Amino acid sequence: MTVLFFGRLKDVAGHAADSAEVADAATIEQLFALYMARYPELAKYRSSVVASRNQEFAAWDTPLRSGDEVAFLPPVSGG
Amino acid sequence: MATLPHDDVYQLIREPIDVAALARLVRAPEDGAVVTFDGFVRNQSHNRATLYLDYEAYESMALAKMREIGIQIHGKYRVHRVAMVHRLGRLEIGETSVFIAVSAPHRAAAFDACRFAIDTLKRTVPIWKKENFADGAVCADVELPPAPAATPRAKPAS
Repeated sequence: MTVLFFGRLKDVAGHAADSAEVADAATIEQLFALYMARYPELAKYRSSVVASRNQEFAAWDTPLRSGDEVAFLPPVSGG
Repeated sequence: MATLPHDDVYQLIREPIDVAALARLVRAPEDGAVVTFDGFVRNQSHNRATLYLDYEAYESMALAKMREIGIQIHGKYRVHRVAMVHRLGRLEIGETSVFIAVSAPHRAAAFDACRFAIDTLKRTVPIWKKENFADGAVCADVELPPAPAATPRAKPAS
């Protein structure tokens, strides 16, 4: 699946897009935990980050399927 | 899923927003009112002088969310056309970052819809601004505003 990072999260993860494989029915929470293990600084943003799955906002316990596009989004600040 | 009128405009652009053209575009002979919202870059924020802003978006999702707002507007209010344009990239003080124009036969619906549009955009459309201050500090999305004194995250100007 494709994993996207935006805003400050992109700087912390060092890239805007990554390709990941997770076990079937793994959740968005588990996917983010994988990245927190790789980039420990991500942990301090966990409480403010919002996730999307296939371009819809998604709860952290949403199960994932291969081919999904998951994005980790800072609180939006457009306008 | 409901569809949008073909005359509506939902765009993310990297050039200056032509606000007069958009306000004209939504007008039609059967309308009696156009309400617009022009959001532009303020010269200060968090008690600091701002130099410029950088906007980025999750573009495909942002456009989908903007169209969703349009569908909600047409379902909730008696309006005719909606134009909603957000600019991305570097914006200088005074430049328009977001512009919304709504036409309607009568003003009340146009005012209500325009207010709903900007309020909902600010909550649901994945766009982020990074504020670059005159003193070199940078404030982006998940970070707290920089304190007046130097903070560990405040970066020197480069």
